[in-house]
Amino acid sequence: MMSLTERLRGVVRPAGSGPVRAGGRALGDSESTSPDRVAELLGGEWRQASSHRYVVVDRAYAPGHRHGSMSVADGLPPQGGWPRLPLLGGSTSGGTLLFLDLETTGLAGGAGTYAFLVGCGWFDGGRFLVRQFFLSSFAAEHALLEAVREVAEAAATVVTYNGKSFDLPLIETRYALNRMETPFSAMPHIDMLHPARRLWRGQGDPRRDDTARRAVLPAGGLAPALGCRLSALEQLLLGHEREEDVPGFEIPARYFRYVHSGDAAPIGDVLEHNRLDLLSLALLTARAAQLLDEGATGAATGREAFGLGWLYARAGMMQEARVSFARAADMGPALRAESLRAYAVLSRRLRRHDDAAEAWRRLLELPDCPAGFVREATEALAVHHEHRLRSLLSARSFALKSLKMDASASRRHAAEHRLARLERKLGHAYPAALF
Amino acid sequence: MLPAKAPEAAFPTTRPDGPGSGLTRKGSDTALELVLDRLTGGVADRPDTPDGWVTAVRRLPARGAQFGPAVAGVDERLRDVLRERGIEQLYVHQSVAIEHALARRNVVITTPTASGKTLCYNAPVLSSVLRDPSTRALYLFPTKALAQDQLAELHELSGLLSRRSDLGIGVFTYDGDTPQDARRAIRGRAHVVLSNPDMVHSGILPHHPRWAKLFENLQYVIIDELHAYRGVFGSHLTNVLRRLRRVCRHYGSNPTFICSSATIANPRELAESLVEQPFELVSESGAPRGEKWFLFVNPPVVNEQLGIRRSYLAETRRVAAEFLKRTLQVIVFAQSRLTTEILTTYLKDDFEGPPGTRDRIRGYRGGYLPQRRREIEKGLREGSVRAVVSTNALELGIDIGALDVCVMAGYPGTIASTWQRAGRAGRRTGRSAAVLVASSAPLDQFVVRHPSYFFDAAPEHALVNPDNLHILVDHVKCAAFELPFTTSEQYGGHDVQDVLGVLEESGFVHRTGAEGGADGVWQWTNESYPADAVSLRSVSSDNFVVIDTTEGADVIGETSFTSGPSTLHEKAIYLVEGVLYQVERLDFEGRKAYVRRIDCDYYTDAITYTKVTALETFANGHTDVGSGFSRTGTASHGEVHVSSRVVGFKKIKFYTNENVGSGELDLPEQQMHTTAYWLSVPRDVMAALPVTSDDRRDGVVGLSFAMRQVAQLLLMCDRQDIGISIGSGAEGDSPDVTRTGEPATLSEEPRIFIYDNYPGGIGFSEPLFAMDDELRRRTRDLISGCGCEHGCPTCVGPVGNTGPLAKTVALRILDLLDARSTTARAELPA
Repeated sequence: MMSLTERLRGVVRPAGSGPVRAGGRALGDSESTSPDRVAELLGGEWRQASSHRYVVVDRAYAPGHRHGSMSVADGLPPQGGWPRLPLLGGSTSGGTLLFLDLETTGLAGGAGTYAFLVGCGWFDGGRFLVRQFFLSSFAAEHALLEAVREVAEAAATVVTYNGKSFDLPLIETRYALNRMETPFSAMPHIDMLHPARRLWRGQGDPRRDDTARRAVLPAGGLAPALGCRLSALEQLLLGHEREEDVPGFEIPARYFRYVHSGDAAPIGDVLEHNRLDLLSLALLTARAAQLLDEGATGAATGREAFGLGWLYARAGMMQEARVSFARAADMGPALRAESLRAYAVLSRRLRRHDDAAEAWRRLLELPDCPAGFVREATEALAVHHEHRLRSLLSARSFALKSLKMDASASRRHAAEHRLARLERKLGHAYPAALF
Repeated sequence: MLPAKAPEAAFPTTRPDGPGSGLTRKGSDTALELVLDRLTGGVADRPDTPDGWVTAVRRLPARGAQFGPAVAGVDERLRDVLRERGIEQLYVHQSVAIEHALARRNVVITTPTASGKTLCYNAPVLSSVLRDPSTRALYLFPTKALAQDQLAELHELSGLLSRRSDLGIGVFTYDGDTPQDARRAIRGRAHVVLSNPDMVHSGILPHHPRWAKLFENLQYVIIDELHAYRGVFGSHLTNVLRRLRRVCRHYGSNPTFICSSATIANPRELAESLVEQPFELVSESGAPRGEKWFLFVNPPVVNEQLGIRRSYLAETRRVAAEFLKRTLQVIVFAQSRLTTEILTTYLKDDFEGPPGTRDRIRGYRGGYLPQRRREIEKGLREGSVRAVVSTNALELGIDIGALDVCVMAGYPGTIASTWQRAGRAGRRTGRSAAVLVASSAPLDQFVVRHPSYFFDAAPEHALVNPDNLHILVDHVKCAAFELPFTTSEQYGGHDVQDVLGVLEESGFVHRTGAEGGADGVWQWTNESYPADAVSLRSVSSDNFVVIDTTEGADVIGETSFTSGPSTLHEKAIYLVEGVLYQVERLDFEGRKAYVRRIDCDYYTDAITYTKVTALETFANGHTDVGSGFSRTGTASHGEVHVSSRVVGFKKIKFYTNENVGSGELDLPEQQMHTTAYWLSVPRDVMAALPVTSDDRRDGVVGLSFAMRQVAQLLLMCDRQDIGISIGSGAEGDSPDVTRTGEPATLSEEPRIFIYDNYPGGIGFSEPLFAMDDELRRRTRDLISGCGCEHGCPTCVGPVGNTGPLAKTVALRILDLLDARSTTARAELPA
């Protein structure tokens, strides 16, 4: 008879199921690091709390440190912070910003996913400081989280990249599991993913949409972190090329190898990866905040100007938004239709009907204007001519155009209704033009 | 509470006279009596007539209400609310159950449909919440629809209660349909969470830190429709509950379980094996019941020799029509989606009003959109729908009010499920009827010809095997993800430390700590989210997807790995909601079947050749004589290796079931280890049969055909839960196969294997071994009681599969085996 262990092996690893998966011992030969040397190897030091120890790695980047085209000094917030920072999300602008990035044992979340590296960064006296907390043994998690809390409580706002759906829920779960209060729940939070997508998505990103960071949400959905990876932005905006960067998918396996075999050497690159992410996050945040202060004239591309318009509009800064959309429309064909439409809608809301009509007209003149926009513009112009300009014949001509487009029944009904009314106003007994 | 549901306790019930219900209570009693007179020939309480058209008539007398004492622990505000709703007194089963629950004793309640069982759990839960607002409760239903149904009722109660206290009692469903943005609010605000085991398994337990408030204060877990958790689903549920209790321990809570079940033989045993804690049983209903008639109808034989009966669907149509003509409200249960649609069409033809009027006849099954289902349920409660034809979708407690008559087209497969369906007709006062129309399937014929089996015997046992290694290992992974195991922790029926050791070999967990005598822990060290890979409704989550390439490439269905080859082989006909598809290509490695819509008049049935090899015998008649005097020494159970291969298929014409063609196939072999019961026919028994070797083979094949049907009957399992194979003691032989997959020749000592059709086994073989005597006795009854001459689909299989002597030889084998066991008994030392 087979022993329980043999039968279990047959269940866990059925014959022909291939080699043991990454994370197991079969990952390859590895050098075991003496436990005491882990801190040294990673360039950090041990911290001890209630008989458990973890590793803290501190790095300081001097004002002149260059990260691609920007230096740390370029990203330094002005005295009192960036005035328009709240436009990026969150609800505060004053106080210290804490840049946070986790390296985890998986992307799925849930009680069994650990944050084995908590990376924190902040500006201090012209320098950018990074403090990384490395979970050198699972038992130290409580102590490590306590230390993270101290750092968090010294800051006013937390800044992340995709933290709304990934980093913050995950670390909050870690606090909850350790029966601790999380410091992040009450803290204002800027998730740079969303403004970054507004400002920079789709611009020359060579890896757009393929190897993107696919964070699986608890319910099994895909996080919208696609097409706008931090490292891609770093390359695009800062011109920084990483050398021998650890691919994200490999990170959990490196940690598991350390856990199973004690080999800490491959972790060093993970720490460096995390530091670069923090630096990029800080500088991108600075770039976005500076753009918002500068306004549309600072925009380098139509996409940036359009994104600025969107951010201003969301914050109720309508004048700035209009200027941004107008500039975006002038900056090239890529987002011209979207910009003109946004400009027109905003102008109408501000009751600047002539400006709106002008934008709708320009929109209709575009060679490849999307059908939905054409329909919207035609309708808007029919309204404009009927009610503002009182030019019934022009209005009728727009309404007739509307009627010829493919549209939903209710839109069609509205157009027919308008046409009937116009015919009545024009004194026609019957909408002869229909036949 | 929904408008037309009968109140929870005994009160003068007025029949909700909806727009379409033409009769008063008394009028429908009379109408029912008239129809019953017609069907039974006016003879009530007559003896059973197995060969007649109506084989059995039973009258279950009306019963008055029995009340129990008021329960002191029920909150005063709740009492007021119940009184407001017309509930002054509790039925005795409600009193007892509520008393147990409030005293924090686990309790399982088995009472019939509409006996007010929901109050048995709502009263203690709501009382506890009123007393201490931090109290939390978790309700588990086997389907989302049932949770929705309960939500309506709980909202009503909690709404009334909220008016009497400052407390807003939060009641929410939490399942796959719950919007993401609502989930956080529910986690914070829900006192009562209505969910299902699948969601607890993959959405709640792995995220328990977010549910800390629930788990810290979890006082009650309610498991409704307990009988639904048998076999694989039940084995998974046990593990989900092990994990739930483990997480509760972490948060310092110890919930009380309140379960409700339909009538099965072993409700307490089932509850105890699912929850693994002692239970109190409340089985005596105090709810009043009107008089109920139960009839068995067997369609008459039209071809005596071949044993062919009139179509049971036509017969069902006729019976249902009798009741509908008298404006009685009818529910018809069909066995499949296809037959549901066919019967709906028949009845619509007969009874639907002129076009444009409201539909009086409706179909109901899985696959209909929720909105349509709600509309039909409402129509039934209001009476505007006069007949509904349903699959088992309406068997569980969806509120459709109480109807006059239930007609079942075909035996539902188990006693419990038959009573459950019959219970959809019947009120607290007045008369109701249930009619079972048998098909020609062996199980149907057995039941309808042996009415006392159904009416007098205990219903089936529900079985689970939570320690099936495949299932256990999956859940140990999930549990390790949720909370690290300690090195001294126990879980389930095997040594979990061994399981964790093997998981460590593959890198799933890592053992750390264990310094200075303290326990070490097993840390989860894998990227995956293990619950995603485990489906509670099957053993393995490996499956085939079905892709429709008629226009583009749409996934239209999926099939488990084990049944993939037999249902998705090339040229197989695949059915979805009555639409026919043909498989064009099966990508076995990629687990995909590409199908295309087709118009044809046949379906396909795969021929599978299965070879079973005994690996280890756990027990047999010889070694077990001490406790098993009745055993013959020829039955065994143990671990077996099953390899099966689909070798061909038959084309079968719809409606006539004619065989209109066949094809050969060559598909990869599938293998599994599982458990089996087997019957060995000794060499001397085989030798003593005075017939040719072909006839001997036919006898064994026929015997196995009949045994399979009876085993399914005894085990309360679905047809696909068990498999059958004829093997020999020898290894390595690969006999020729007949057109139906049986071996063409037999060894000198053949064995009939009845195996659990799940890797690792699901616990059927041991009880089957224990019921060996009954299995053989009932098999004999089935074969000898069948009126056909040389075998038919009702007993030893259709003529053509076996030769003319199959029946005789099969019975002869049983006789010889019995003679041997009598001798064996006589030879035993006193």
